[in-house]
Amino acid sequence: MIVQLILTTLLSGVVLYAWQERRRSAMVASLALMAATAGLYLVWVPSHATTVAEWAGVGRGVDLIIYVWIVISLLVMLNLHLKLRAQLELITALARQIAIANAKTNSPEMKDASAGNEQKAA
Amino acid sequence: MSMGCTWIVIPAYNEEHVIAGVVGEALRSGHRVVLVDDGSSDATPEIGARIGDVVLRHPINLGQGASLQTGITFALAQGADFIVTFDADGQHRIEDVSKLLDALMAHQADFALGSRARQTTNMPNSRRLLLWGATRFTRITTGLNVTDAHNGLRAMTRRGASRIRLRQNRMAHASEILEQIASSGLKYIEVSVNIEYSSYSLAKGQRSTDAIDILLDLCAGRLQQ
Repeated sequence: MIVQLILTTLLSGVVLYAWQERRRSAMVASLALMAATAGLYLVWVPSHATTVAEWAGVGRGVDLIIYVWIVISLLVMLNLHLKLRAQLELITALARQIAIANAKTNSPEMKDASAGNEQKAA
Repeated sequence: MSMGCTWIVIPAYNEEHVIAGVVGEALRSGHRVVLVDDGSSDATPEIGARIGDVVLRHPINLGQGASLQTGITFALAQGADFIVTFDADGQHRIEDVSKLLDALMAHQADFALGSRARQTTNMPNSRRLLLWGATRFTRITTGLNVTDAHNGLRAMTRRGASRIRLRQNRMAHASEILEQIASSGLKYIEVSVNIEYSSYSLAKGQRSTDAIDILLDLCAGRLQQ
């Protein structure tokens, strides 16, 4: 019973996390949501876990729950990777603005334009 | 039809040994040239600023895709009518830029893509095999009937360039740009160009194992959409 309560708390956290992340990647969020919901079901109906495990060729129901947990962990890792990519996009946009704002040129007309911009800014 | 204002975008990272020759040759074509230095740790930006037209410098290394998008964004802001992407390692020939621009106008297309299908110099067999696989993959995923998938020599009209928004910072941008050309519905053509592989460009170029990174980046990009 204690393990069931701990797993329920953790899996409920995953359900909330997946729901919160649905805008970043709907596919990853849906998969995590489905895996966590399946995990909750199997935690509270362990006899079904054994039946499904036997059908899937896993053996014991507890093994199936562990595999579901591994799938959830991988999906959460994937989501973190996507978050890092989103952060990199923001850094790239910032670096691009800096690069364009500090353009160095030997072209007289562009030099005049940038000098005019600097005077306006001052 | 008038050629209008053409900008050549050259993304560069640690190319101090060849950049003077590449930028110098590009300038002799009479077009505007923007060198995008991708946070080089060598003298690439200083050499570019000394001999070049315009130099943009990323404060950190981001990748070739990010550099290209920076150059395209800048050229569009400067009122470019045509934009050409050109590698910094000396493997492209400036004469091919005119071929691409002429083909754009002759066919009323928005994208002219360089193809190595016929003319290549010193291409190793491993690179040829990788290119064959990448081209088949591109045909399947984009529906474009191209003969080359990762050629950095391209020309585009202002309208075409406005439809390009590269989010793949590294080498997967070459596939991403073809996906965006396909989804734009704009006309594209392929133009046979000559790529001269030297020991320098081969050492700087992609490795066969980069294909795995490109695939993973493309998958992650799809999941992010």
